[in-house]
Amino acid sequence: MQIFLDILVGGLTLGGIYALIAFTLSLALATTHVLNVAHGSVIVLGAALATLLLGFWHVNPAVAVLIFLVAFLVLGFLFEGGLVRPILHKPPEAILMASIVTTFGLALALETLLGFYWARLVHPEPSFSLTFRVPAIILPGDLILPTRRLVILAFAVVAIAFFHLFLKHTRLGKEARALSQDYEGALVVGVNPRAVSMAIFTLGIAVTALCGAFFVLTVPLNPYDGIRLTLVAMIIVVLGGVGSLPGVLAAGLLLGVAEVCTGFFLGPAWAPVVFLGLLFLMLLLRPAGLLGERQ
Amino acid sequence: MRRFLAYSMPVLLLFAWLPQVLTRDLVTFLFFTFIFMVLAANYDLLGGFLRYMNLGQGAFFGLAAYIFALLLQHFPVFFLRLHPLGLPVAVVAAVVATAVFAFLLAYPLFRLRGAYFAVVTFGLVLVLQQAVLRTPALTGGSLGVTLPPQFYVDVQQAYYPGLALAFLAVLLNFAVSRSRLGLALHTIRDSEPTASAIGVDPFRCKRLALVLAAIPSAMAGCLFALFLGHLYVETVFGMEKTLLPVIMALVGGSGHFLGPVVGGLVVQGIDLGLRYGAFPVPALAIFGLMLMATGLFLPGGLLSVLHPRGRTAR
Repeated sequence: MQIFLDILVGGLTLGGIYALIAFTLSLALATTHVLNVAHGSVIVLGAALATLLLGFWHVNPAVAVLIFLVAFLVLGFLFEGGLVRPILHKPPEAILMASIVTTFGLALALETLLGFYWARLVHPEPSFSLTFRVPAIILPGDLILPTRRLVILAFAVVAIAFFHLFLKHTRLGKEARALSQDYEGALVVGVNPRAVSMAIFTLGIAVTALCGAFFVLTVPLNPYDGIRLTLVAMIIVVLGGVGSLPGVLAAGLLLGVAEVCTGFFLGPAWAPVVFLGLLFLMLLLRPAGLLGERQ
Repeated sequence: MRRFLAYSMPVLLLFAWLPQVLTRDLVTFLFFTFIFMVLAANYDLLGGFLRYMNLGQGAFFGLAAYIFALLLQHFPVFFLRLHPLGLPVAVVAAVVATAVFAFLLAYPLFRLRGAYFAVVTFGLVLVLQQAVLRTPALTGGSLGVTLPPQFYVDVQQAYYPGLALAFLAVLLNFAVSRSRLGLALHTIRDSEPTASAIGVDPFRCKRLALVLAAIPSAMAGCLFALFLGHLYVETVFGMEKTLLPVIMALVGGSGHFLGPVVGGLVVQGIDLGLRYGAFPVPALAIFGLMLMATGLFLPGGLLSVLHPRGRTAR
């Protein structure tokens, strides 16, 4: 029973984080046609900054959160201004290809520099992880509830709810949805794609970095995990359908549970094999994605 | 075609003469450059002609290297008996197996396009890495595979086959760009429905391009295995084998048969410079920044500087 509970909570937690990561990627892709290959590197960067602030410098947590958020809002702002804005006027296909090239370059540069300078300046073996203590809850029947994972799950739920509210009830959110449904139609009725892209990338990158900080509460990351995480996010996006929040949620949870089960039964290194197996199966059986339609 | 051959002869002669005057280090460096050029040119068959970014080009390279090395390791006597036909037989077996792999891979892969294709092909390399690491009984796992020493080749011997392979890979791209297949691929790139409407079968063309792109890479993998003598997962399925060729093709000029050559020389040259200059910056970071700059300012790559309205856009 305990094993079953661990797998269930572990899978849901990982799945929640995956869903969130995939959703921020998918939102940017659907509204601006930019595929951010450096998405995973932002997660790793978030993990690195959180580890540096809390694990090495022991900054007061409230101050750390503030520094963290400011740093990544600024990074998102610079990312949008430097890499997205210059190509936003091109036709969608060209935006996609150009963004893959530039963000792929960014991912390489970020990962290599992070690994290199972390090893030189902070610790010779770069690895990012955080620990914190929460009292365990014991359920009737001597089951131990993994509270630490529940904290992460709570973060994922709050962040997903935040995005849901943002998309449904704010002006920018509605404009983002309009752009993803019919790009030219949205331009005709006066949506400003620049404002939307600015909002999507600053928010998206800050939340993605936060995901990284929460991710390393259970699983440590190293500087070169970025592209692997982008891969996971992309698989979830393909499985769930671009721009579909419910589809991405379902696919994220599915992959989270699949990864935890794989880790338990076969060993954690098999996870990418299982992911791609699931993806190929899906592509052969249901090319349109789990839920919702594909572009 | 005749002009291509006429122009390439002096270049080939120059490269054929270089080992006489260069140090061993530099000859090895050129040999690696040739291997990378093969991969970059093969990448560009899909990346340039079709705008399908295949980030898994290293998969074909590594797979062939592994099949080849395992054949030689498990049946050394068989291949030695066949001597001097032994090596070619093993190479053909490895290349055919890789081509079949590429053929079968076309079915799930070409259900994807654009970004999805790029990311999934990248995952392929990770999967093959794991497949090798997790089956130590067959592949030696993390310990790697050792070739029987009778088969080792020196860099001086490997240099000329490397040069020939790089030349053939570039020639293949040139030939495709001047063939019906090349036209068909360009049409598919611009509009798949149009291609279907005029009687081009997009899937068959893409499949053919993928198989064609796998073959020289597979041969390069065999040559690389012979040169190394011992294969590790990281050396043949490593990130650099699959990412550097993409960077070379894009920086040099994707879509032009000379792009991979220019990109290969530039990227490898920078790598060499950084190594000898001992700069405190890792080479991959520089390449990443170069790639960013290419995407933002020079979508046609370095060649588009020389050829402002050149063939890169065709």
